[in-house]
Amino acid sequence: MAKDLFPTSRWKTWLIFLAVIGPGIITSNVDNDAGGITTYSLAGANFGYTLIWSLIPITLALIIIQEMSARMGVVTGKGLSDLIREHFGVRITFYLLIALIFTNLGNTIAEFAGIAASLEIFNVSKYLTVPLGAIFVWILVLKGNYKSVEKVFLGACVFYVTYIISGLLAKPDWNAVKTGILSPELKFTAGSFGMLVGVIGTTIAPWMQFYLQSAVVEKNIKLENYKYSRADVISGSFVVNIVALFIIVACATTLFQAGIRIETAKDAALALAPLAGKYCSYLFAFGLLNASLFAASILPLSTAYVVCEGMGWEEGVDKKFSEAPMFYGLYSLLIFLGAAVVLWPGLPLISIMFISQVINGVVLPVILVFMLILINNKRIMGEHTNGKGFNILAWLTVAILISLSITLLLLMLKII
Amino acid sequence: MKTNISEETLKMFVFFSDILNRRVINSEGKIIGKVIDLRVGLGELFPPVVSIRIRQKGKEKFVFFPWDAVESINGHVISLKPGAENQITEKPSETLNHTKTKGEEILLRDEILDKQVVDTYGAKVERVNDLHLLLAEGLLRLVHVDFGVRGIFRRLGWVKYVDIFTNWLFAYQIPNKLLSWKYIQPLSHDPYKQALKLNVTHRTLSEIHPSDLADILEELDRHKRSYVFDALNVEAQADTLEEVDDQTRVSLIENLSEERASDIIEEMEPDEAADLLQDLPEEKKRDLIEGLEDEKREELEELLTFDEGTAGSIMTPNYIHCLQTDNVGKTLEIFRGSDKPLDSVSYIYVIDDKEKLLGVITLRDLSLRSSDSTVASFMKRDLIKLKVNDSVKTAAEIFKKYKFLAIPVVDENDLMKGIITLIDGVEAIFPEFGE
Repeated sequence: MAKDLFPTSRWKTWLIFLAVIGPGIITSNVDNDAGGITTYSLAGANFGYTLIWSLIPITLALIIIQEMSARMGVVTGKGLSDLIREHFGVRITFYLLIALIFTNLGNTIAEFAGIAASLEIFNVSKYLTVPLGAIFVWILVLKGNYKSVEKVFLGACVFYVTYIISGLLAKPDWNAVKTGILSPELKFTAGSFGMLVGVIGTTIAPWMQFYLQSAVVEKNIKLENYKYSRADVISGSFVVNIVALFIIVACATTLFQAGIRIETAKDAALALAPLAGKYCSYLFAFGLLNASLFAASILPLSTAYVVCEGMGWEEGVDKKFSEAPMFYGLYSLLIFLGAAVVLWPGLPLISIMFISQVINGVVLPVILVFMLILINNKRIMGEHTNGKGFNILAWLTVAILISLSITLLLLMLKII
Repeated sequence: MKTNISEETLKMFVFFSDILNRRVINSEGKIIGKVIDLRVGLGELFPPVVSIRIRQKGKEKFVFFPWDAVESINGHVISLKPGAENQITEKPSETLNHTKTKGEEILLRDEILDKQVVDTYGAKVERVNDLHLLLAEGLLRLVHVDFGVRGIFRRLGWVKYVDIFTNWLFAYQIPNKLLSWKYIQPLSHDPYKQALKLNVTHRTLSEIHPSDLADILEELDRHKRSYVFDALNVEAQADTLEEVDDQTRVSLIENLSEERASDIIEEMEPDEAADLLQDLPEEKKRDLIEGLEDEKREELEELLTFDEGTAGSIMTPNYIHCLQTDNVGKTLEIFRGSDKPLDSVSYIYVIDDKEKLLGVITLRDLSLRSSDSTVASFMKRDLIKLKVNDSVKTAAEIFKKYKFLAIPVVDENDLMKGIITLIDGVEAIFPEFGE
């Protein structure tokens, strides 16, 4: 039996690592969903290379926040929703979950918009693709289970490499990219701040913290194997931002330079064609479809799990509809609304997609504050609370995020 | 039982959510603080409140008042008796004078409200939305737990509005979903004893059917799971381990002491024990086997030598047997003396002194024949049997065709090694049957 073979301890290390990875990688990849791709495309097309520098602090913030989620999951063996309910009570949990449902609904709408957009490039009507997509997603999860969905799409994660290829095909000016990374530049306008908060919100979305912690708990990772989980989270965070980098670069090099302002990811994919060849365009579209389907499967399901966990309702795809009505109801409702909104004639989808990411960015500090309170509580975490240095970094991140959100709000209301 | 309590009889009942944050005033009418929590004693069927925890006005630390310092609970305040301030303490155990409770004490908000508990009546895990208390004969007792949606609305302060809305729309009012405390096993644990704070319940955890217990354990997180499992007796632990899914099973075994694990394995049916051991990492498996009593160890080691997918791997060496020279009377004695589980007593196998399989008789035969007739005279000699290395599939074919309740398994010398019961056979072919 393979179990009897332990030739070297390095094999053992790899075996454990392979058993443990998943949560970090998957979360990161679902993170690069339709909303994300749209936001990064807009960032590149409308602002050139000037916002690339933000990816570095964002990666750092992402690592810090995800590490906390993973650590809480491994130490307590409970999901974030569960912890919040037990510690803060049903009232706070209720309002928090309502906010989460709204941001996740926004995200879900973005996913379906992404499905529509990616296939409109090939001139397939959204009235065909969106309902089909919705039904496909709905059945996929109900017939399979959470695990099988993850496996299917984990394989599809490989396709994210299309963005990297896209980025390279666009023949970017690497010197300009370097300048963009090394010299931060931020105009004091609602546009710039909005974009920045959007990029942050799409990279560090509130739902991710809940999802990651639940995924870690599902994997039943033992405390002594935690360092592998941490490695998983860190590598995931890097992957997200590398993909983001290439998307921004691809659009900055082609669209910004040519002065083309885009409004949707579809615009981005179409505009890439004459400038970088139609394969670039196709790859972009395919990547968008893949990302949107993946996220549309994970997001509503995760939301249903999180809400039922927090409110104490029956949950799980292994239960019948009559046994877990709130779970199935919420899940189906999210998919239905997500698809319906996209199909409604005349709704400004771009705004909705982008605004949903901005809302992510605004709700994020709230979730973070809760996480920080929980993770510093010795009764919950034992001796695994945050270290002093870590706490300083974490609270600093929260402070920065809150001030960014407030600045954005003030700019939008034209107060400053 | 779940009860639907009408509004009229609620006069002496009060919900925990209504008591929380109530102002506490002393005998002169001055506000002392707000109610933060209630401490109850678990030693009685319906735990009485022994002390009240309050946040004092202007001060940070929480303090306790004993229950008998309370004058009355009315309107929106709790009034204290004169001189009550002298009874303020930070250590609640010092407040025990009037109500001498045995057993442990718990804080309702800290350890029960919003937490998961085990509903031993419905055999599931539920989250507590609110608590229901009864004020009678000078004591405030915990009587029900509220699991329902109405409880959530009450905590949010929306009950009135929701009632108006549902009455207007559907002429309907969301009912309370309350369960008597006697069916509740809290999942808070005693940090000093590292064990569950056990409730004096009408129905204890060990009485819940193992399959239901397995469901409960699978639903709980790692820590709570260990506490609940540890609270069970050895028999219940053995039965439950047979029913839980693989992941949970391995996780539970890992947290057991060697001694306890060995006890459980000895308690289990050999084939189930062998299955369990197969799933464990090598080291753990070896350690556990070595810790067993000789007889059990040999039995298990033999079972573990059979490859997966063979008859030997799903058989149990526990079966009832007799000699062909025995008569019905003697065989009935053998039958009565055995303590095997039901699914392996349908047939009694007839073997010789070297354990060679000669024939089989049924319980029915025993009940119809006179007590002095010899087994050899009516036993069935022409048996369908399996060899230890026959595949599980062959076993399934036999069950399908003949619908036996059990099939004997022999080695190459026709010596009887064990039997495969119908359930084990089905489980081997349809693993989901066993989950």
